[in-house]
Amino acid sequence: MAGPGQGAGPGQGAGLDRGAFRATPRVRHAPTSDLSVAEAAALRRVGLSPVGFVMGSAVMQLASTITGNVYGGMAMSGGIGWGGLLSSARASGSYVESYPCAHFGFVANAEHYGFNAENTVLAASLFEGYRLALSRLQDEAVGLGAHGVVGVKLSFEHMIGAAGTATFLATGTAILHPGSAPLASPFLTNASGQNFERLIGLGYVPAGLAMGVGVVYVQPNCLARGDLTVVGPNAQIPAAVGVARGRARQQLASTAHGMGEGVVHTEWSDRRFIRYGESWNQLALALGTAVRRYKTEAEPRPPRAIVSLRP
Amino acid sequence: MTRDMGPGVATGASGLPDIGVALEALRTPFRPDGQAFVSDLTVGELILLEEIGYRPVEIVTGAGSASWFAQFTTAGTEAKTWGGAIASAIAEARAGIASEVSQRGADGVVAMRLELEREPANQLTCTMLGTAVRGGRNAGHPGSAARGPFTTTLSAREFHMLIRAGYRAAGIVLGVSVVGFSARSASQSLGLVRDNVELEGQTTALYSAREEAMEMMAREAASLGADGVVAVQLSERPVNTMLTHAVELMAIGTAVHRGPKGHESLDPHLQLALDDPAAEVFTSG
Repeated sequence: MAGPGQGAGPGQGAGLDRGAFRATPRVRHAPTSDLSVAEAAALRRVGLSPVGFVMGSAVMQLASTITGNVYGGMAMSGGIGWGGLLSSARASGSYVESYPCAHFGFVANAEHYGFNAENTVLAASLFEGYRLALSRLQDEAVGLGAHGVVGVKLSFEHMIGAAGTATFLATGTAILHPGSAPLASPFLTNASGQNFERLIGLGYVPAGLAMGVGVVYVQPNCLARGDLTVVGPNAQIPAAVGVARGRARQQLASTAHGMGEGVVHTEWSDRRFIRYGESWNQLALALGTAVRRYKTEAEPRPPRAIVSLRP
Repeated sequence: MTRDMGPGVATGASGLPDIGVALEALRTPFRPDGQAFVSDLTVGELILLEEIGYRPVEIVTGAGSASWFAQFTTAGTEAKTWGGAIASAIAEARAGIASEVSQRGADGVVAMRLELEREPANQLTCTMLGTAVRGGRNAGHPGSAARGPFTTTLSAREFHMLIRAGYRAAGIVLGVSVVGFSARSASQSLGLVRDNVELEGQTTALYSAREEAMEMMAREAASLGADGVVAVQLSERPVNTMLTHAVELMAIGTAVHRGPKGHESLDPHLQLALDDPAAEVFTSG
């Protein structure tokens, strides 16, 4: 068991390369878990025992969460704001698209002009927050000598009263196979105990979590804003959703590429994040489990159709 | 055979050493062999699809958005631009996801999440997201290449049943109709507070909207050469404001083909659970 001084030391903990913060290792007297009884039973059937409830968290200041009203289009200092976002997106070669005024014969002004710009800075800070929380969770699992963590949940909340700051939290239950030597880097999965059992039965083992974040800042033009002076199909919102989801998918696939044959259990979340008047950040978040085949001859189990006689 | 919660206890499990083999596999670095598949399927869904010969390829998405003038509705008349705007937003999302499926050389998309967001009130954004799949019976069906990839909102479980029962998914089909009704005068409104009467104009509008929407859905299904439509979701939304009096109706379902062998019985087994219902431990009062 992990005692004081036996936790994740420098270089031992997987992924935590900053050295800025390290949780003090604590003595655990009894194994804890957030497993349901059915989950614990499923893991026990596979031959695994829970060794402890583990978590990792990080409180972050999110970069480039544009403050104040950007309506009017003036660049604010330090690369923050409309002009800063546009020029930094253009300079880095990431996605930028203009949507001029949709009124026929009008002279476009700031109220009618719109654009989409990929917010790579916000995407990177969200990714970093989640990565830190996950690597700290993994360090706790290493400290317990676990082989992996199942049922990993990620959450995110804004700190009340402190604009631009966010708390990232990762939780899960570390598990151990008593017959195997410890892994240098325990696997993480968001699959439940039952789904873990099915995965092993199918011939796959979870290799780790894959994650992707995509953010596009949307300043809607008169058409995409849905005001009452011009109507019709708009291309701006679909483009923003498409690019944000595309980036999240790309990053999900690239983080999984070195880990396994595929990704299952992807939890998707799309939302309008940090709104300023009529503009917003279109966010796409994806978290899935990269899986690796450990045997090719998995036994086929055709499911049997049943009719339950319950009332 | 006992195993307690702590580490360092003998495994003792007979016939279950898979986990040991699986953990051994993680000790060697992974060498990617081609493109990794990306899916939002759970393991159970993955199994259900593999059983009927489908393999996941990648997550695919589509989106569409449109707005309309809500106030221009005439009593008893279909508001074509309003209904058309909604239909075009959904159709654009459907076309977008289908083209992503084709680009990946996949045959279709299953367990599609279809979301509608109305913000502001006279604008609709439709987004779709699902896992593109390859293989299976749809691929070998004559004429399936000409019709393009299939799309469906059926879950992996429902899709598994559909295929095993001898059917194929053709694609999602939709019907939208908005029909106006006349505004009530002040005296009518006051009178109606006292009397129980049917608002015939509104009932009629609802009926015509339903007929128009169902007909449009049937036309779309016929253009796919489908034998029928399953899992239709019907949503109705009356809009009665100062300027706008209309019923908006939307129907979305999955069009299906019957396979060459016709219906195949799933031959379900009856299952009688012998356990008692769980006792209620903490009851109020």
